[in-house]
Amino acid sequence: MSEFKTVGKSEIRVDVKGKVTGRTDYAADLKMKGMLHAYLVRCFDHAHANITKLDMSEAAKEPGVVKVVGPDDVTSNVFNQSVIDAMVPPGLEEPMGDIDDQKIFADGRVKHYGEAICAIIATTEAAAEHAAKKVIVEYEPLTVYLNAEASKQPDAIQFDERKPGNLAFQLPEAMFPNNIMGHGDIDAGFAEADLIVEDTLYTNKQKQCQMEPNSYIALYDDDEKLTCWTSTQMPKCVQTKLAKIFEVPVSRMKLIQTTVGGGFGARLGMVLEPQACALAMAMPGHPIKIQSPREEDWLTSPSRHPGDWKVKLGFKKDGTPVAAQANFASYKGAYYLDGSGVAATTGGWLQAVYKWENLAYTGQTYFTNQPVCGAYRGYGNPQQTFVMESMIDRALEQLDIDPVEWRARWHKQVGDGTWFPDVPYSSVAIDACLEQGIEAFGWKEKRAKYKNQTGTIRRGVGVGLTTHTSGAFPMLLEHTVCSIKLNEDASANLTFACSDLGQGAHTALRQIAAEALDFPVDDISLNTQDGDITGFDIGAHASRTLYVGGGAVMEAVNDAKRQIFERAAKLLEANADDLELKDKQVFVKGSPSKSVSLKDMLYKSVYNYDVDMETGGSFADGQIEGYASYNPPHCSPPWAATFIEVEIDMETGEYKLIEMVNTHDIGRAINPAIVEGQMEGGAQQGLGMALTEELYFNDEGKVLNNGFTDYKMLGPSDMPKMTNIIVEEPDPFGPFGAKSVGETGLCTPVGAVSNAIYHATGVSVTDLPITPEKILKAIEEKAAA
Amino acid sequence: MSHHTINLTVNGMPQTVTVEGNQTLLEVLRETIDQTDVKYGCGTGECGACTVLVEDNKPINACLTLAATMDGRSITTVAGLANGTELHPVQQAFVDDFAIQCGYCTPGMVMKSVALLSENPNPSEDEIRHYLEGNICRCTGYAKIVKAVQTASDNMVQYAGGDTA
Amino acid sequence: MSTRVLTNFDLQVPKDIPEALEILDNYQDRITPVAGGSDMLVAWKLGVESGNAMSVTALPDLNYLTYDDNDGLRVGALATIDQLLNSDDVKNKYPALWKAAEIFATHQIKNTATLVGNCLRASPAGDASATAYALGATLTFVSKSGGERKVHIDDLFTGYAQTSRKPSELATELSIPAPGSGSRSAFTRVTRVNEDLAKLNVAAYLEMDGDTCTQARLVMGCVGPTLLRLPKCEALLKGSKVDDATLDAVANTVNDEITPIDDQRSTAEYRRSVAPVFLKRTILKALS
Repeated sequence: MSEFKTVGKSEIRVDVKGKVTGRTDYAADLKMKGMLHAYLVRCFDHAHANITKLDMSEAAKEPGVVKVVGPDDVTSNVFNQSVIDAMVPPGLEEPMGDIDDQKIFADGRVKHYGEAICAIIATTEAAAEHAAKKVIVEYEPLTVYLNAEASKQPDAIQFDERKPGNLAFQLPEAMFPNNIMGHGDIDAGFAEADLIVEDTLYTNKQKQCQMEPNSYIALYDDDEKLTCWTSTQMPKCVQTKLAKIFEVPVSRMKLIQTTVGGGFGARLGMVLEPQACALAMAMPGHPIKIQSPREEDWLTSPSRHPGDWKVKLGFKKDGTPVAAQANFASYKGAYYLDGSGVAATTGGWLQAVYKWENLAYTGQTYFTNQPVCGAYRGYGNPQQTFVMESMIDRALEQLDIDPVEWRARWHKQVGDGTWFPDVPYSSVAIDACLEQGIEAFGWKEKRAKYKNQTGTIRRGVGVGLTTHTSGAFPMLLEHTVCSIKLNEDASANLTFACSDLGQGAHTALRQIAAEALDFPVDDISLNTQDGDITGFDIGAHASRTLYVGGGAVMEAVNDAKRQIFERAAKLLEANADDLELKDKQVFVKGSPSKSVSLKDMLYKSVYNYDVDMETGGSFADGQIEGYASYNPPHCSPPWAATFIEVEIDMETGEYKLIEMVNTHDIGRAINPAIVEGQMEGGAQQGLGMALTEELYFNDEGKVLNNGFTDYKMLGPSDMPKMTNIIVEEPDPFGPFGAKSVGETGLCTPVGAVSNAIYHATGVSVTDLPITPEKILKAIEEKAAA
Repeated sequence: MSHHTINLTVNGMPQTVTVEGNQTLLEVLRETIDQTDVKYGCGTGECGACTVLVEDNKPINACLTLAATMDGRSITTVAGLANGTELHPVQQAFVDDFAIQCGYCTPGMVMKSVALLSENPNPSEDEIRHYLEGNICRCTGYAKIVKAVQTASDNMVQYAGGDTA
Repeated sequence: MSTRVLTNFDLQVPKDIPEALEILDNYQDRITPVAGGSDMLVAWKLGVESGNAMSVTALPDLNYLTYDDNDGLRVGALATIDQLLNSDDVKNKYPALWKAAEIFATHQIKNTATLVGNCLRASPAGDASATAYALGATLTFVSKSGGERKVHIDDLFTGYAQTSRKPSELATELSIPAPGSGSRSAFTRVTRVNEDLAKLNVAAYLEMDGDTCTQARLVMGCVGPTLLRLPKCEALLKGSKVDDATLDAVANTVNDEITPIDDQRSTAEYRRSVAPVFLKRTILKALS
């Protein structure tokens, strides 16, 4: 018998009927009076070049063309397409070195393949695209830089004069002496070590590949109001940014968030909203629609930060982790975005997991002539999980220590520093994850069984473990506003800007409201997505929506209850503090017969026909609306571990994924099916990062595989059997004890599969993705040695 | 540019449209007939978001079909599955088994699943996973989609050998 | 262009074969014939310009799939891969071809793609075309001035994505001889994920007399500008008992006959490493 009415139940999601019948519209499905279509003309000839000529005159004459729009026709305001800067306290930008370096179109110089040069507005999409062929652009090619090593060279062309050496960011000296994040004395640590393992590794440029391509509509109307329809994850921050770019007051910048067909960080900010709005400003009175083709997604929305790793770990014979030193030189792509983000946060994750006695992390990011990098589910954690989990297992192999036993012994505990060292862990239930995981997976038996294999077909098992966060407290602004209006029929309207990207946030937040009010879930409806109606919310990132949104919902409900109890106290002649609300009855605790119907109260609060003839007022108390402006007090990091079994063909390097167990310490599953959905979806992306996904370039920086033909992800028949284990040890701070699950699920499989392949073959592939080509090559090199 | 007048039946309704020779069925469905429940996902027949059914519940990619070659054909889209407010068993299973997250792949995934169960009313898990290749989902990891197809298969026993709905 | 908009062309949709042949005769190489379209529409979206196109989908009497022990398998130009997959005759008599149909692309594509179209596409990575090649298929072409012309598949592939079809010709049929009692065939392919273009494929056809191989046709794909026959390997098998020594000799020879390159799907080095392995395994699969 559950202690809860709806929390813990897999309530049917609030958005799925419209989605399953096709009734729900995404941005691309919207049609409006006077709508025109825009096609952005992009550079597909060079990854780095000065633009020496741009002539749109011939294109302007093409059939169906209404207007051609180039750099001189739009604002020259500089901006940054990420919105992380909206969340960073002012004053921090300077030491972090955050910059705005983007314009609507390429500013005289193309810095990555696919950069936008100008735009065609026409009556149809086809007319716009065909006219684009008539745009004349001439270039002076420049040297192309495709990795950190190349662009840091002293003679390299500078991307931005504010960033000498093309060093977009490194940990600032003012906050990190010697640019090092860590603790202790790293040299002393290594001196103490009985075993040191050291290697260089590479983590890849993975792309979110959310199924909804990028489509936008913008309109600048006769009220001088700029409206933008977009499936951004961060509607309020984007609203602020667009208002600033186009110099309209925030009150005249309306952002309508359309149904989000997946985000995963690709929409943590703006993608083509600036271009859509610029074109709307150029054609007032006409909604301008951009439907960016799928192949442009790899070129325009930000990918994961790829980069080169140097990792050196020191252990004592008994496994004590005495020293961890790591450098991550990531490739930023052509523009800054959240340059200070991943480079720094990666170090945060790295030092959050295990009790290294001495630790030194350094991180840099260098501009490269590649499409931009930004946020992708995990935000540095998948990268560090891969390198650290892999290197740890290589050491443990030499020390003959079981990988699960070591992790159980050395992970951080309640009270230890989290990814933000000054914030201590509030709850850590990874031990329960490991115990249940090894049981369900058969870890010990399989480790023993696959110890000494000699055949062509071999199996291996590996574990990957990490922790993450629930929201970005205390590093970034964490603020969510929520209101809940109680109607005369004792139903409620819950209003917030919190984004549902598909992860199920709206459903879970509705359940939290229902639980807190003790209402049936169906009595709560949601108002979201209209920026004029909803209060502030940062947006969906850092796995914050349930944790912070849930907190905001609970506080708004508490505010409503306070008002209910205040009024009921008068009716019941009792103390407001002694009252309880259950099943829409307000009663005195311990005396359930002394009650008043909430529905009656709410009805009369609106419909009270008595009039005071003397004062002219009415006796209606007014509709009750609860409100909260909520800032969370913590970030309650979740923990997770993945176990995976692989089978390797030693003659071909091919692998089969046999079985996977994902265990997550998430405090409380508000909606277990939704939690599983995050675990399972994260696993598909994590396995893809580990095994198949990468964006490839030729020597000239041309992107080779911006399409599903050659950007390969795991399909339904590639996925292993997955078992989900949800561990619920309620967190003191989360709503009903809940912590996040959105990102952790992607991280742990990356470490686990690398370790499973190592266990099966004895070879460790250090470059992601781990392909059969690399596995076979490593097997052959090992045999030859 | 050549123009072609074609007669289609879409979800049981007759549609006579004039199309250009180089227009895809996807474009004509979405723009000319306003059948926006059929989605553009990749345009190259890889993601399956544009999957519609033709006669005998055979799935095709609307993005790789020239509209002008579809004269006289009958097409079913996801909007044509439900019977009023009563969802098709595949739709109901997707709802009940949490096979939908962002929903963008859902129209195509549902149509593909209807096609599968029409051809093979009692598929094994392996058969389901292989049949669904060509429909990409980035949210669910496919686990609950496969479960929903199994649920629908169990619930649709009585529909064996019948039409779409 | 983009994946949302095709290049411009005038489309003709002839309603009978004489009309189609008339069009081909007029336009010759200035018109692109298209059947299922799964390859051609992608090409048009990538920017290939075809001023004129001709869909063959409305032509009658080209959608058939028949088998008998005299004529063997006869596949009409409009017969889809899905039809091959659902044919017991194909499954039982031509297992390699059936296997290729099973793994071919996706079900959506199987419902519009044709075996004849796949052969005419002449991709060096073609799966169904590789098995048709190993099975010794014959294509039938018709034209207004030339009447009917039969081309053995050994004479079909002339270069990367090029065939010996004359511009005025329409392909009407692909046929494969009826298998003898000693016929064996198998097909293997290697991919990055299950639903993928091949990075290597092997189609093996053998005729066995007891445990002696009397005839061998071995085709390997993704290792040259066209699908490749492996005549040296075939010669080692013909007249031999297919034992470990023969298989090792075949494995050691294959790299003399292939010219793999590095591309999106794999590397020349990997293909050379595994070609011997997969060739051996495919032959063994055919014999099992």
